[in-house]
Amino acid sequence: MEETVMNVLAEAIGTEADQLDADLELFEEELLDSFGVISLLVGIEDALGVRIEPTEITREEISTPAKLIACVQARM
Amino acid sequence: MMTPFDGLLFFYILILALIPAALLGLLGRPVKHWAAVVNLLFLLLIFSSPRALLALGIFAAWETLLTVLFRGLWRTVKKRWTLWLAVALALVPLAAVKLSGLLGWGIGLLGISYMTFRALQVLIESYDGLIPALSLWEYGFFLLFFPSVSSGPIDRSRRFCADLACTRTREEYVRLLRGGVRRLFTGALYNFVFSKLIYTFVLEKLPDTWWGLLLYGVGYTLFLFFNFAGYSAMAVGTSHILGIAVPDNFNRPFLARDLKDFWARWHISLSTWLRDFVYTRFTMASLRQKWFKSKHTGSYLGYILTMLTMGIWHGFSWHYILYGVYHGLLMCLNDVLDTRWKAFKKMKKDKRWQPLLMALTFVLVSVGMLLFSGKLI
Repeated sequence: MEETVMNVLAEAIGTEADQLDADLELFEEELLDSFGVISLLVGIEDALGVRIEPTEITREEISTPAKLIACVQARM
Repeated sequence: MMTPFDGLLFFYILILALIPAALLGLLGRPVKHWAAVVNLLFLLLIFSSPRALLALGIFAAWETLLTVLFRGLWRTVKKRWTLWLAVALALVPLAAVKLSGLLGWGIGLLGISYMTFRALQVLIESYDGLIPALSLWEYGFFLLFFPSVSSGPIDRSRRFCADLACTRTREEYVRLLRGGVRRLFTGALYNFVFSKLIYTFVLEKLPDTWWGLLLYGVGYTLFLFFNFAGYSAMAVGTSHILGIAVPDNFNRPFLARDLKDFWARWHISLSTWLRDFVYTRFTMASLRQKWFKSKHTGSYLGYILTMLTMGIWHGFSWHYILYGVYHGLLMCLNDVLDTRWKAFKKMKKDKRWQPLLMALTFVLVSVGMLLFSGKLI
């Protein structure tokens, strides 16, 4: 699951999964914007079948790859 | 009728009403019951004419009934069309008021644009299953919370209800109170001093020439900021003293390095509402159902649709529509620069480039405000 989430995240950002540190600040570093979040949520839904509604989560809850993984895990 | 946050009498009554709230909070007691009494009193003062009170009553009853029926129906029939129908019906009063302005029917209700967006949020998030419980008292309080009833900020129901449910410790309330009082004073300074000075000594003095018009764009941008950010700060400050931590609506917008950054700092509660309930939903649907070959096309159309909604939300006038389209196109251009020109992101982080980018953003915003002012068309 973790690998899938990291791959989806890397694709939403436009980079490689091995370039992403678990505690990287995705919004502060301007890696994710509104469109990035949408690509991420749709990607997670496609890959894992976990549907997360846009206002179900705050940006703070997915601000790093580690938090994002925890967020998806809690919904599986 | 009393205008919110205007006139000595309003502030006199407000201070008298806030003192018991502050005392309760400082004793570590719940503030919400007193806040409800204060809310009712101010609603009666603000909507004091029989006509205004009737309009508010009909609007609130309509939105409440719709929400109760929709939430009841949702438990048995979770179909997308029910949400579309509920959203359309929730928009009927707003459309009637806006059309009335255009056709001179004489129907009006202060703050209807703001209250409608709060009602829509509850409907959409109920459909998403994010609001399992919402009592009538919570809904009514949220929809008709007087500090933000006429001009925002547009709070979110789950955040608002969490504040209603919690009792803060003395220390927590002291922090809230301190911030609230600071915002009330800052807001008054912005609204009653700076914005009035700009209006009297700049906007009213400019000649009717092309350069006068250009300066008007700059002056009007600053005027709107001090006027509206000041009003918002007073509304937020009052809410905080009443124990409801309504989020701030402005965050130093003239330090924005591009238009996306600007909208994250200006009228934040409106721009994030539009981001969450228009842009994100449209773009997500376009990606899920693969409406376009390129996934960016959905996003660009999403920006145009979102900003057009923002323009029309201000009123059915050509200059508001043009203002929306202008910002929609600028958001698309911003996105193209972000994705296609790698140096742009680096420049935004580079302290040497930032002053230039801030100045350029301010100029683009000022041109938008000139369109918004209706001086051009």
